[in-house]
Amino acid sequence: MRPTPSTFDLLLKPLHRWVWTDAHRRARKLLRFAETEAGGGRDLSRAAELTGDPSLRRLFLRHAEDEQRHADLFRQRGRELLSASPRPSRFEANWLAPGERGLDDLRVDSETDESLLAFLHLSEKAAAGRFALYGQVLDGDPDTREMFARVLEDEAFHMNYTRKQLARLAPRKQGLRLWQARAGRLWKAYLRLAIALASVLGTVMLWIQYFVLLPPFALLAKRGARREQPGFRVSRPPTPLPRQY
Amino acid sequence: MRILGISAHYHDSAAALVEDGVPICAVQEERLTRRKNDAAFPLEAIAWCLDHAGMQPEQLDAVVFYEKPMLRFERILTMALRGYPRSWASFPPAMKNELGNKLWVKGTIASELGVPSGRILFTEHHRAHAAAAFFASPTRRAAILTADGVGEWATLSLGRGRIEDDGSASIELRRELRFPHSLGMLYSTFTAYLGFPVNEGEYQVMGLAAYGKPAFSDQVRRMVRRTPDGAFALDLSYFEFHEGARRSFSDRFVAELGPPRRPWDPIDPGTAEGARYADVAASAQLVLEEILVDLARSLHRETGLEDLCYGGGVALNGCANARILRESGFRNLYVPSAPGDAGCALGAALYADRLHFRRQHRAVPDHPYWGPEIDANDLARLAREDGLEVEQCAREVDLIGSVVDELAAGRIVGWMQGCTELGPRALGNRSILAAPHDPAMRDELNRRIKYREEFRPFAPAVPIEHAERFFELPPGGARLGRFMSGVFPVRREWRARLAAVTHVDGTARVQTVERAMAPRFHALLEAYGARTGVPVLLNTSFNLAGEPIVNRAIEGYSTFLRSGLDVLVAGNALVRKRRHVSAKREKAVG
Repeated sequence: MRPTPSTFDLLLKPLHRWVWTDAHRRARKLLRFAETEAGGGRDLSRAAELTGDPSLRRLFLRHAEDEQRHADLFRQRGRELLSASPRPSRFEANWLAPGERGLDDLRVDSETDESLLAFLHLSEKAAAGRFALYGQVLDGDPDTREMFARVLEDEAFHMNYTRKQLARLAPRKQGLRLWQARAGRLWKAYLRLAIALASVLGTVMLWIQYFVLLPPFALLAKRGARREQPGFRVSRPPTPLPRQY
Repeated sequence: MRILGISAHYHDSAAALVEDGVPICAVQEERLTRRKNDAAFPLEAIAWCLDHAGMQPEQLDAVVFYEKPMLRFERILTMALRGYPRSWASFPPAMKNELGNKLWVKGTIASELGVPSGRILFTEHHRAHAAAAFFASPTRRAAILTADGVGEWATLSLGRGRIEDDGSASIELRRELRFPHSLGMLYSTFTAYLGFPVNEGEYQVMGLAAYGKPAFSDQVRRMVRRTPDGAFALDLSYFEFHEGARRSFSDRFVAELGPPRRPWDPIDPGTAEGARYADVAASAQLVLEEILVDLARSLHRETGLEDLCYGGGVALNGCANARILRESGFRNLYVPSAPGDAGCALGAALYADRLHFRRQHRAVPDHPYWGPEIDANDLARLAREDGLEVEQCAREVDLIGSVVDELAAGRIVGWMQGCTELGPRALGNRSILAAPHDPAMRDELNRRIKYREEFRPFAPAVPIEHAERFFELPPGGARLGRFMSGVFPVRREWRARLAAVTHVDGTARVQTVERAMAPRFHALLEAYGARTGVPVLLNTSFNLAGEPIVNRAIEGYSTFLRSGLDVLVAGNALVRKRRHVSAKREKAVG
């Protein structure tokens, strides 16, 4: 199985090209990818520690080492680009080029080997497709392009071993597991969106309270602060332990 | 009486179980969930503690949380009001954080454990620190100093503790400093300025400080004014941590010290920029030490006591601890193995036992090994599944002989024995061990195993009987080294032969190992000494960058396979990696 960009990503190729044009933005993205890969590596080593299947354990550990190596590659290239291009870029478009996000909200402890393999397969496939696309749009940066090509070789292996192991462990239910994993990813995407929206709404509500209700209390608090003497205070006597204040 | 102590929601959550006044077990949540510095409500740790004691939640007489949530909320709200309108950006996340879960601890405990709300208690944060430091120490009368970032309001407390002949106990905290005037926050601000992660990178600041000169100490002293009563007050125009979410230092701070380091920039103290970072770190360290020594000295004068029990996250600063011991006048300085928030789980439970339920004090076993125990059979099974040879030694002397052979040949050993430690330091039960002689070993460990900056030192472990021979320990220094809590000079004549554990300034954060506390580790050090003439080993925590210290055999095994470790020992089982150690490393042992 060869990694190919998704149709959706291919449609957005001009946009991806624009996002990756700026060297500073490129560097920041690579540093973010490094963090994500390192986190993914930790998840995979945890998966290796939890599985009872020795061959799967060896594969997960190899995968974890690959992720760590990718993190080092991304970090090193990101640093090189930053030192060559110290100009800050404010707009990073992280939503558009998310790297290997799939493992971010994975709870390895609560997954079975089968569901984990299905999740990893889809996640690696998506990441490999995206990395293939990033390689295509990096015409002006052969070093970064070469780095993505190296990472892509590992991603292809990850895609393939997860699929083969899923077929070994669940020969009759592999399709079902993959659909369940797809539904799970969709559900998590919905949850991310819902949480983000709720967070925005919550922030707006709190700001309204902050600017409408708090000013008089702020005046009192500032007046109280001005009366405070610097230095030691007598410790307040201990309150009964059942009390929360 | 069975009391469960809990710390959570800030960093390093943990649970501890005390039965009839004596700790049964304690563990940090991160060791079980494998998420470093896990701050979540410690469900796994609680479950393990109860399981270990063979107990159901309903059998608990009390569950004690380590701080007063409403009081903390009062501080957060008050600081937002005082910072109005500059606090507009930090207000929503702070409120969401508090109102989301932190404020409802009582409900969380009641629903998760199913205990009646009447059995749920709350200590004040600094009283939990004080109890962890005092009740776990072997003294009966001591001055108490606690210092951290912040609890509810207090950031630093001074007082004394007393255990009477009839076993009744008291802790009297007399005075305190309040947020935002905080030594912990001051040091964390420098940690952030130097591009290290807060609550984790403070060790890096301390390690970096040794490379610099305190060239910025006047500027730092301007940021921390001393007050006439012997305390200090931060000049808040240099800081933003009290009102902003964006960063902890202000533009004025940057104007004084120069541009901050970006987290991804490498540090080379040999370059001008690297030297400036090192000088800033040295200046912050110096000022911190000066303040702590002054506070401890005045506390000694005031109490006239010989012992000082010291808790809170700031007590992890081994350089400052050594200066307090040398210069404050106290004869003994007791720092628990987990002086930070994780230790508060134990402190809260002990506080409730002695001071709320008024039960007689009972001596707390003087060791840090309160967590899950290693199972050698697990390692043997895993290694055999992967086709690795396992050496299972029936006699301890054979195991130790094999490990000494490996260490003396320049190999790096993952060493897992007994129960896991409570606190951030590996003290011989979940350690990576290596020969201490050659600086190449330090570089090897940093590059192949720990994946961390070159300027960070490694610690030595030495049997307590031999500690004076290699290290310049002041009176009380050997005790302070029990949990690796002090940094002391390596004797000049040994620095070349202990190059892997001697920092650039000629010091080391030494662990003094007593036979009664860690018999097998002590025997290993003695055997290594008999072989090489130097009973000292490099001892660093058994983990990789970004991961917590290993707990079970499988985690040690996974770390062993993913890193440059040569040998793994769990209990009496020993596994070697199938590859040859370079001739260079063979020669590394002097």
